[in-house]
Amino acid sequence: MALNMTTQRRAFRGLGNGVLLVMLLWTAIPFYWMIATSLKHDKEIYGYEATLIPQRPTLDNYATVFRETPYLLFLRNSMAVAVGSTIVSLVIACLGAYAIARLNFPGRALLARGLVFTYLVPTSLLFIPMFAMMSAFRLTDSLHGLIIAYLGFDVPFCTWLLMGYFKSVPVELEEAARVDGCNRISALVRIVLPMSLPAIVVVTFFSFTHAWNEFLYAHVFTSTTSARTVTTGLANFMSQDVFFWGPLMASTVMSALPPVLMFLVFQRWVVKGLTLGGVKG
Amino acid sequence: MGTSTTVSLPVSSSRPGLGWRGHRVQRFLLQDRNLGYLFLFPAMLVILGLVAYPFASAIVMTFQAKTAGAPGRFIGLENYRELLQSEQFLRTVFNTVVYTAVGVGVKFLLGLSMALVLNQERFCNNLFRSFLLIPWAIPTVMSALNWRWIFDDASGLINNVLVRLNLIDETISWLSNPHLAMFSVILVVVWQGTPFFTMSFLAGLQAIPKELYEAAEIDGASVLQQFSYITLPRLRPIFITALMLSAILTSAGIQFVLILTNGGPSDRTMIFPVLAYNLALGGAQRLGMGATVSLFFFPVLVVFIVFLTRRMLREKGE
Repeated sequence: MALNMTTQRRAFRGLGNGVLLVMLLWTAIPFYWMIATSLKHDKEIYGYEATLIPQRPTLDNYATVFRETPYLLFLRNSMAVAVGSTIVSLVIACLGAYAIARLNFPGRALLARGLVFTYLVPTSLLFIPMFAMMSAFRLTDSLHGLIIAYLGFDVPFCTWLLMGYFKSVPVELEEAARVDGCNRISALVRIVLPMSLPAIVVVTFFSFTHAWNEFLYAHVFTSTTSARTVTTGLANFMSQDVFFWGPLMASTVMSALPPVLMFLVFQRWVVKGLTLGGVKG
Repeated sequence: MGTSTTVSLPVSSSRPGLGWRGHRVQRFLLQDRNLGYLFLFPAMLVILGLVAYPFASAIVMTFQAKTAGAPGRFIGLENYRELLQSEQFLRTVFNTVVYTAVGVGVKFLLGLSMALVLNQERFCNNLFRSFLLIPWAIPTVMSALNWRWIFDDASGLINNVLVRLNLIDETISWLSNPHLAMFSVILVVVWQGTPFFTMSFLAGLQAIPKELYEAAEIDGASVLQQFSYITLPRLRPIFITALMLSAILTSAGIQFVLILTNGGPSDRTMIFPVLAYNLALGGAQRLGMGATVSLFFFPVLVVFIVFLTRRMLREKGE
């Protein structure tokens, strides 16, 4: 005796709404706490007068972050590393992906396999020799060093994603262009790249946020304030003796905003790229 | 291709203005092989220099007593022997398995439920979906810092609320109680990692043709039957890919444990990347020992990595 379809549907709809509500709360509460804390006076954060909802919201914590910490420097460093590694890896990846997608040469398949394999090797297996290597080349405590180190992940990942897209661009278009006198490079720049714009967006998003979010290399390769990025800078605030959760949460909110906004804007494309090979999970 | 094999004099060229030299270069580049290697050269340099070389030198380091900046001294299998005899290492192996299995398992189940719920039609569904995915977009360090504050002994959110509700008399040390620390850390891992599964599964669900469900309905299949005979089998490939990727990334992820507990209390949350980090860079700077810890786990990871590589190449028709 199966229940009729409408009854079943209604039951699952109700269940679904219930689950959704729980999930929304579970997701939202930590955000709420982060933002609420950043808007509170110390009195409302610690001790007997601690509150759940800020009674007298204030932006003091944000002001403190800018006035008393090198947060702006961290932001600048993160921005420089993220933009630098994104641009370099985009150029390298476009060329590499084009070669694998379009050109026929021995070892092509092997290289494609090597790319996937490389980006799946987690950095926590590599950071110790990388540290020794960076020290040997005097690239520790330097933004250039970080940009170079991030290429190790960005290049294989971006090449892999772009490769798939490049293949979906009809070869005929390119051949027509080449008959008209385009060489390979101008065919790549004028035909293939514009047609792969969604992929370029995804790849830019991933390499930018990867550099912005990266912690292990940044933490291991830097020991001075001058080369700290946002992630290591904030983690370092915490390891100092003074725990100041108000300003810390304020800087956390600010540092989380750029990748979250980027994600919300590019969401549709990012989800598509993600299903081709995740980076964080 | 044809034009590249015939030797043409500069005069007869369709593109005037190029000297003899220009033609040589052009002819060289017209061959797929040469151009292919040229285009791939930078990428290969990156892979060799930043992945292959460090990886090989990690293997060498496992046979060395090495500190940063100084050349290593060969000590044979001494690092391996010391690790296998250390209770801390055995605990780390156990913890890593628990941490990964429970973390990935819960993320999987929650992610699947979320995807199924979001796949239903509903008012404002897109808005809900975007919101539920945000934990994935937040930098991991930021989430870890936020959760450390949520778990705070004295004034954190959880203790704050529990005390207010009179559920506890004394605050709970979520991160320093040996029985609770692992649970707390996994909670955070699940919070940030579930959206990855949700996104993957939702994409999979949306790719299943609606006609299948319509046909099943006409045949009188219940919602549960449709789920187990259509949805589950169709999602299976995505299940496997997502599980493996997540197992690699979770077990090798260092940030949550490093920031929340640094492996403590008394190694209760020590997982292999954190142990490697502490041995290599925390105080004693035993790079060789640290590398050995990482390498010990590589064989397990490599099974996943090779398997995934194959799958991903097959999906792309390579």
